[in-house]
Amino acid sequence: MAVRDDVHELTGEQFHEQVHSFEFWFHSVEGYLSGLEYGHREGAAEPDLDDAERDRLISVLCNYCVGETAALDGASGLVAIAPNRHAKIFLSTQVVDEGRHLEVLLHRMSELGVADPEQEIAARACPSLLQFKDRLLELVAERDWEAAILAQNVILEALEFAVFHHHAKTADAITAEVLNGIVKDERRHIGFGENELGRRLRDAPNEHRRLREVKDELDHLVLDALEDTARSLGVGDIERHALGRMYIGSVQRLGLDR
Amino acid sequence: MNDPLEAPVDEAAAAQQRQRYELADDTGFDEVPKKYRKFYRRWQGDGDSLAPNEVICPVCKVVIRSTRELRPGDRVYCMPCMSRLVVVRNGQGMLEATVSY
Repeated sequence: MAVRDDVHELTGEQFHEQVHSFEFWFHSVEGYLSGLEYGHREGAAEPDLDDAERDRLISVLCNYCVGETAALDGASGLVAIAPNRHAKIFLSTQVVDEGRHLEVLLHRMSELGVADPEQEIAARACPSLLQFKDRLLELVAERDWEAAILAQNVILEALEFAVFHHHAKTADAITAEVLNGIVKDERRHIGFGENELGRRLRDAPNEHRRLREVKDELDHLVLDALEDTARSLGVGDIERHALGRMYIGSVQRLGLDR
Repeated sequence: MNDPLEAPVDEAAAAQQRQRYELADDTGFDEVPKKYRKFYRRWQGDGDSLAPNEVICPVCKVVIRSTRELRPGDRVYCMPCMSRLVVVRNGQGMLEATVSY
């Protein structure tokens, strides 16, 4: 089948086929990751952080690693229960993305002088985020596709997208470059989550109530984690509210806010 | 009652009135394969504005660009977040995109 060069003239089927492919993924990430080493340009100068700034940054990066590990484990499990080929292939690209995110964040901690990042994560991880991770992996183990996609690709990814995007604006140049690369990947993940869930809810509207309950159960865990990270980043109340806006927008469009 | 969506439309006349746009190859947007990059750009925040051939993706906030002036009912795709969208006119009379699951 000939594929048109004007993206908006593709049929829905052609568009779906294109974007849920490794071919699309490869040519997309090539645009913003080629030439980088561990997510940033080689030889970039380390920032001059004082001890307190460095410590706060390490705590934040530790919690980013918990979130990325949750998404890596979650996406890996979701491949097995994905309902169709498109979803399986997309999620396999997400697994690669999440593995890369974890790797570059761990590497960033090493660059900041952390000798044992794994030990540091265990010591500094936010309990709410760890609980969220456990619940996500339970949903995957229960083969609850809709609830797991809601937890991972709508709730977790939307908040990561907003927090990383915000943090990149104030972070040192190296951390900012690493985070901006992750944000570009997250755009695909949040889009997949909302669209997949939107299609499922359209075809099974009685699922709304059940998913609203899952959302209510998970909301306070991620919002606690958001509070924790926002505090470390020195984010004010107004900005904190803005960070939740992307997630709220997605939940509203899916009809899960009432 | 007649369904306005089924009313005959003079497509040629409607198409003639639409302004066409030549999209610059490089908008600085690097998140999709090269041949599709011209269809997207980043929203620059305060001071930025949308041209008649542009709408913002409500899911990921990227600006979507078309080779023609957009009108309500047009279908556009946000490739960076893989969303299918339909252009609508909002309460303020502005064009915006809504997600079509």
